[in-house]
Amino acid sequence: MGFGDLKSPAGLQVLNDYLADKSYIEGYVPSQADVAVFEAVSGPPPADLCHALRWYNHIKSYEKDKSSLPGVKKSLGKYGPANVEDSTGNGAPDAKDDDDIDLFGSDDEEESEEAKRLREERLAQYESKKAKKPAVVAKSSILLDVKPWDDETDMAKLEECVRSIQADGLVWGSSKLVPVGYGIKKLQIQCVVEDDKVGTDMLEEQITAFEDYVQSMDVAAFNKI
Amino acid sequence: MMELKILSACCFLMKRMGGFYSLQPWIPVLQTNSGPSLTGLTTIAAHLVRQANKEHLLGSTAEEKAVVQQWLEYRVTRVDGHSAKEDTHTLLKDLNSYLEDKVYLAGHNLTLADILLYYGLHHFIVDLTVQEKEKYLNVSRWFCHIQHCPGIRQHLSSIVFLKNRLYANSH
Repeated sequence: MGFGDLKSPAGLQVLNDYLADKSYIEGYVPSQADVAVFEAVSGPPPADLCHALRWYNHIKSYEKDKSSLPGVKKSLGKYGPANVEDSTGNGAPDAKDDDDIDLFGSDDEEESEEAKRLREERLAQYESKKAKKPAVVAKSSILLDVKPWDDETDMAKLEECVRSIQADGLVWGSSKLVPVGYGIKKLQIQCVVEDDKVGTDMLEEQITAFEDYVQSMDVAAFNKI
Repeated sequence: MMELKILSACCFLMKRMGGFYSLQPWIPVLQTNSGPSLTGLTTIAAHLVRQANKEHLLGSTAEEKAVVQQWLEYRVTRVDGHSAKEDTHTLLKDLNSYLEDKVYLAGHNLTLADILLYYGLHHFIVDLTVQEKEKYLNVSRWFCHIQHCPGIRQHLSSIVFLKNRLYANSH
C-alpha cells in the first residue's frame, strides 16, 4: 500500500493513476484518508496529472471541515494501490501500537534499536534489487478464428496473408485448419501479444483488410500469460 | 416519471405531493394537492426539492445554481428523446472531458444536476461494454460515485465499473 514518496513526481503519478476511477482515497465520501494524503502532498499536482489535480482541488474545498471528516487518520502507507511498496516503513508510530502484540519483538530496548536498523538496511537492499529487475511485460495469448468466403478459398494463401501482418510485440504461433461444414475450413491461429503494444481491434482491422480471402475474424480465446 | 417518484422518495417527503401523470412520453405532470398543476421534469424536480427543504441540491452560489440549471436543461434537451446511439456517444464524450477536473457536475457537492443526469443516463450506461466504460473514464468514475450516494440508486441496478488495463490503449 502507500503511494511512494508523494513529494516526488513518481509518487504523484501513482496517486494520479489510483484516482483515475475514484473520487476519494477511500470510499465515496471525503474522510481522514483524504486529509492524510492531502497533507502529504506539497502542493497542487501539475496539470498533466489531471486526476490528482481534480482530487486536490476538491479536497481543498473541504479545508474548513478537515477535522470533522469521518474516519481515523492512518499512516500514509495504509492507503493507495495494493501493489505499491510501502516506502513509509520507517513509521515508528506503527510499531508502537499498544494493541498489537509484537510476536517477534524482544523486551530489550537496545536490541530493538539494532533490529530496527538492520531491518531498514535490508529494506533498502531489497528495494535497490527490485529496482534493478526489469519490468515484467504483460502478455496475452490470443486464439483467432479467421473465416474464408467459401470452400474454394485458398487457405494456404489466407494463412500467408495473416502471417504477413507484422507488429512490434506480435508473435505468430501455430495454426491449424478446422472444418466448419459444407467443406469450408476456418483458420485457427495462435499469437502472443504484448498488451501495451497490440490490441485485438488492430489485429481485426488488419486481418479483415484482406477482403479477397477473409470473410470475418473472431477471437476464439484470450488468455493472459 | 419513475424517477420523479424516486426523487420524491429520496427527498423524504412526508406527505404525498399529489398525483403524477404524463401528457406525452417525455412530459410528466404533477397535479398538486393544493394549487396548480406543474409540467416538465426539471420544474417538478426543483419543486420537490424545495418542498423537501433540500435547496442545497439546487446549488449554493449564484454560479453554482446557474450551472445546475444548465445541466438540467441539458438533460431535457440532449438526453431525453435522443435514443440514437451515436448522439449518446457524442454526449458521453463531451461529458467525459467536462468531468476531467470535477468530482460533481456543479461545485463541490451533490446537486439535482448529478441526480437527474444519473437517472437519465442509467439505461444507456448499463449497456456499455467494459472497453467503452474505460474509454469514458471520467463519466464512469462520476457515475460510480453517484450511484453510491445514499438514497439515490433506489431500485435501479448497480452498474459495475472495472479498471481493466488489458484494454487501455491510451488514456
